[in-house]
Amino acid sequence: MMYLESRRTFLKGTALTVAGAAIAKGVFSVDAAAESVKASKFTNTPDTLSFYPPLDQWDHFQELDGTDWKRGGINRHGVQSEENPDGILVHDYMVIPTACSNCEASCGLTAWVDKKTLTVRKYMGNPLHPGSRGRNCAKGYAVQSQMYDPDRIPFPLKRAPGSKRGEGKWIRTTWDEAMTTIGKKMGDTIRKGDELSRKSVMYHIGRPNENGFVPKVWETLGLDSYNSHTNICSANGRTPSIHFVNDDRTSPDWANAKLIFLNSSHAADAGHYFQQAAGMIADARKKGAKMVVMDPRLSNSAGIADLWLAPWPGSESAIYLYLANRILHENKVNKAFVKRWFNWETLMNDSEYLNYMVEKTFISKLPAGRDFESYLELLKDMYSPYTLEFAEKETHIPAYKLEKLYEMFIWAEDAISTYVWRATAAGNRGGWMNGKSVFFVTGLVGAVGNIGGTGWYHWHDIAVGGKGGSSTVGQGKSGKDVPKVKAWNELTWPPEWPLSTYEMSFLLPHLLSDKEWQKKWNDRGLQVPSKLAVYMPRMYNPVWINPDGFRWIEVLKNEEIMELTVNLSPVWSETNWYMDYVLPTGLAGERHDQHSEATLPARWTSFRQPVLRVALEKAGWKPKNPARATLEAHIKAGLGEVWEENEFMFDLCVNYIDPDGSLNIKQMWESKRHPGKPVTIAEWYDAAFGDNLPKLHETVMNDERYTKEEFPVYAYMRDHGAWLEEDKIYSVQERELKIEEGKVESYEHKFDAASMSVDGSGIISAKDDKGDTKKIGIVVDGKKVQGFTTPTRKLDVYTQWVAKDWKWPEYAMAIYPRNDKEKEEMVHILSHVNHVYMKEENSFALNTVFRLPYNIHTRSANSKHLMEISQNHDPIWISTGDAKRLGFKRGDAIRVRIVDTVSGLESGHFVAMAVPTEGVLPGTLACSHHGGRWKLTNHVTIPNGVTDGKVATGVAPRDLNNKEFLKESPANVGKEGAQTIIDNYEGTTGLNSFGVPVAEIQMDGKEGKLKYVEGIKPFHTERFAEYNRDSGNVWWDGLSGSWQNAVAAPHPDPVSGMHCWHHKVLLEPAQAGDKIGDIFVNYDNNMKVYQAWRDKLSRGLDSNSKLRRPKHIFRPWVKLDPTSYDVNIKG
Amino acid sequence: MDEIIARSNIYALLSRILLQELDDEILETLKNDPTVLEFFPHWEAWEQRKNLPNKEILEEYLNPDFTNLSILHLVPYETFYTRSDQMIETGGANPVTDIYSAYDFLVDYEVARVVSADHIGIELEFMHHLCEAQKKALNENDREAVTELKKVQHHFLNTHLLKWAPMYLINLKYEARTPLYYDAAETALEFILSDNETLSVEV
Repeated sequence: MMYLESRRTFLKGTALTVAGAAIAKGVFSVDAAAESVKASKFTNTPDTLSFYPPLDQWDHFQELDGTDWKRGGINRHGVQSEENPDGILVHDYMVIPTACSNCEASCGLTAWVDKKTLTVRKYMGNPLHPGSRGRNCAKGYAVQSQMYDPDRIPFPLKRAPGSKRGEGKWIRTTWDEAMTTIGKKMGDTIRKGDELSRKSVMYHIGRPNENGFVPKVWETLGLDSYNSHTNICSANGRTPSIHFVNDDRTSPDWANAKLIFLNSSHAADAGHYFQQAAGMIADARKKGAKMVVMDPRLSNSAGIADLWLAPWPGSESAIYLYLANRILHENKVNKAFVKRWFNWETLMNDSEYLNYMVEKTFISKLPAGRDFESYLELLKDMYSPYTLEFAEKETHIPAYKLEKLYEMFIWAEDAISTYVWRATAAGNRGGWMNGKSVFFVTGLVGAVGNIGGTGWYHWHDIAVGGKGGSSTVGQGKSGKDVPKVKAWNELTWPPEWPLSTYEMSFLLPHLLSDKEWQKKWNDRGLQVPSKLAVYMPRMYNPVWINPDGFRWIEVLKNEEIMELTVNLSPVWSETNWYMDYVLPTGLAGERHDQHSEATLPARWTSFRQPVLRVALEKAGWKPKNPARATLEAHIKAGLGEVWEENEFMFDLCVNYIDPDGSLNIKQMWESKRHPGKPVTIAEWYDAAFGDNLPKLHETVMNDERYTKEEFPVYAYMRDHGAWLEEDKIYSVQERELKIEEGKVESYEHKFDAASMSVDGSGIISAKDDKGDTKKIGIVVDGKKVQGFTTPTRKLDVYTQWVAKDWKWPEYAMAIYPRNDKEKEEMVHILSHVNHVYMKEENSFALNTVFRLPYNIHTRSANSKHLMEISQNHDPIWISTGDAKRLGFKRGDAIRVRIVDTVSGLESGHFVAMAVPTEGVLPGTLACSHHGGRWKLTNHVTIPNGVTDGKVATGVAPRDLNNKEFLKESPANVGKEGAQTIIDNYEGTTGLNSFGVPVAEIQMDGKEGKLKYVEGIKPFHTERFAEYNRDSGNVWWDGLSGSWQNAVAAPHPDPVSGMHCWHHKVLLEPAQAGDKIGDIFVNYDNNMKVYQAWRDKLSRGLDSNSKLRRPKHIFRPWVKLDPTSYDVNIKG
Repeated sequence: MDEIIARSNIYALLSRILLQELDDEILETLKNDPTVLEFFPHWEAWEQRKNLPNKEILEEYLNPDFTNLSILHLVPYETFYTRSDQMIETGGANPVTDIYSAYDFLVDYEVARVVSADHIGIELEFMHHLCEAQKKALNENDREAVTELKKVQHHFLNTHLLKWAPMYLINLKYEARTPLYYDAAETALEFILSDNETLSVEV
């Protein structure tokens, strides 16, 4: 009441001498700014915080500029419009899906193409991608900084006439000239038609990041010389999968596991699929899963694990077999699974091998019977030596931790997901046996292929990129009419390593320069190439990434061995420096690829696309030359004369290698719709996806948005960028054989149902369409199921074929040497850095194989963002006790001498910085081999070279809303006289100016040295100047480690062929004049080291050999004619 | 009609005093307007008001006091009182933003010089604008709009100003070291409470 009374007083407010409106400050504006917000869709209080608009808005999506929040947002300024010019800028986007290419995981990306400037303003994730779920790691977002890297190669480069490889003299050339030279050389070589010629045009990749396209090209060329980097990466990780289940690798179900059992940090930290895997591992841990990380180094994952185990490198089998021992003796075996799916009958019926086991004392006596219980007793007998005490002594892991591991293992039952990839596998001789042991022990508890368990790659993968054949004149549907290759290339599949997993690519320069080796096999009836007519890496940097880099340089510089060298590379690299041609094909947002990976128990594929081309086409632009649409689009968008590999290969095959069709290559890549012309992207991928993914095809044909499209399946993938063909794929071996219309189907292959037969072991065979009889399944408990794809259709716990046919009987079962004598006998599976070799006070096992999450080999030095966050000088991790003992303090320069434990030879040394830490197992060291990039000069001058006839990219401003701009397209792209102006390129370019310091190298054929002379400096650039306006802020020197790969000698694993990366090293203080980053290499010794591993350890082909390699195991890339496997080695 | 003019003026007056330090022009009004002097008895009685030049009053008395009361010592923002963490919400999640936007009002921060839209001076000025709108509706004889605007005012008072402004104003009164801000605090507190009671009856 009081206030009601007092209110009368307030009525006096009417009497104010100045009206309220004049007194009030007037803080509200109801003018243009407010109107602008009202007229827009923007609000400060959105209903959701989704990063991504719904798909139907991707063609036209508006978003406020990022400076919005810095400036106070639309609250203060409103939205920019004609009436409100000071408002927050609105971007007009077209969102185009693509896929990352900075590692192998192929996470989804979306490029946010600014329509007003035809530039990509940002890369985000693709919410439609089943594996990455809209998320990316730093490398994904960094694709933009790679796209607008000021040093990206602007046009095709050719080594300057008259100069030698490595002199660094370049001229601008045209795509046509390059393709004419390369195509003619390839065509002339292929036309010879002899066996050698089919091995002499080599393609070489790092990460293929596509599923089958280039292999199909090489298949149509009739060549057995598709080469990959796999042997320096993962051969030891894949070999155990091939032995155990005849699949390429595991595919764990992280998300549903109870125990995430990581052998190395790889899956959760930095390596394969880590961004996707880490998300699923986090999901599992949220549900209560536990994570164990085994790694001698405290990785990021180990730091957050429930249990960190730091075993001596390569000794992990001792742990797995200790677990097996306890599981067997404590009666924790999942008998139902083991009885059903282990190939125990094969072993129990193999008397010869059982006797061998007794003879080798693997078992103390022959089994009492041949039944399952006797099998279990045999296993108990075999694994009883692997006690807790043994495991502790061999691995250096305290017993209590091993017991803890066992508890967790048993607690998780059959929901154990595991991965053996890098670290133990890639680092150690015999690392593959660690995989075999872990598969054995997870098999014992039934964690194979089930929910939460560990499945297999080919269950969860889609490979259709090479199957667009129905769009061509000659290939036939899915490539069925492509002739199989009749050749066997000893440079990639040498006779010493008949079981090698993938090509022995890291030995290429050694094999090419080892005349003695060539002669030996030529004398015995093989035809070993002594040179390559054409060597064509793609975006690959073998000089830097492989062991013994100086040997690579020697061979690449030798024009008699490497007659023509071409790198399809958008960026500078150590390797490019020694090439004849560097042809800029595109990065993640600048190329087409079908790319699928087994990142979860499902089959998905991504579709990588040149996003600016797609944006142009969606806006209504049409290329003048449909076979070079991506090249035209990139020129139009100002990226330079940057092309993509698909169109390059189509064009190369049709118009340059076989222009008259006499080699039957032209027909393979000629468009069925437009005979005589190369097939187009839309034609090829419409067929590749549509012919081979039935669920996708059906979905598209029932979607009225696409049914009227000329290429409906292509259009669907263009718009979505990802597809899930099948979800929740488990225990595929249990699937029953389907019989329909006289055909029986197994693993998506069809066979004649009438020809089915069952042998005494229950194995079902049938005839394929060529009439060849193949194993297709197995009868289990009366049911006809697919089984696994091994010869026994079960899990090859006993790998009989390895024992009987391929000379490795002692390694047919999971095993680890039980004493020093066995370490000598079983040297093939004993790590070359085992502690038995560490005899000197200053000797250590160097763990080299780990990655940084924001770098990947050579794919990141062109990204300013990744470089800025990865400057750490790649130190030597040394345990505090060891450092104290040797007198090393943090920051000290130390010489790391690499010594081979097979030949006793020394490879040289590198100088690195010591960082004492508790995060590494005493006696071992860690230093990632991803450091030490180099270049020989800061800049190269490559004049535009087109002062006459230089063609502007267009007249109209780059704006997708501008009709004039969409009407324009450069004519005759790639042809002489049609070279275009490169935006702001004035004739000189830097070389990875954000990432790579300058070094001097010296080499004399036997010894090599490298010394850094200048770090990175701030700089100014006119190319993509606005985007790179911060180049003057560079604060780092880029001196991040040593090029230790060059010091490393090749260590070919005698079974898998893997280059075993770890080293025995001797540490000593740096000497006067040493600087961190220096290396010295005796590469003459390195040649001898390779020879010692080859001659002392391998068990190659001999005069008894009938086959080059087992026919049933995977030999990737091109399909071989079965006769290519036959071999006759003279005595 | 008188009533709405009075309310509008008082909201404007209080808003101006509490929003920013005074300038010469407004000080003249406050010094000489009889109505103001009646509302602000201690200010009226203050000797310095009569004797000192404006510059000195501002620089040596009023502005230091204002700085203490609204910048240094006390916090005149709604979210400081309503959020459990006592953080001022300067972004788009400020609870008053929506209601301003609903009436096409946008705070011009260049003019207001505040860190967020829930400053007491802004909220009071918003009430002033609602009163002005009601006045316009009355002039146009739009009874529906008048009723609606009263509801809005009542709602805004109850969901915003009354939730926190009394706490600020009581503290302001205790902390004030000049009669002007002391009187302004008391007047503002009384006025918004009384205005709410009236509106509650009418609505």
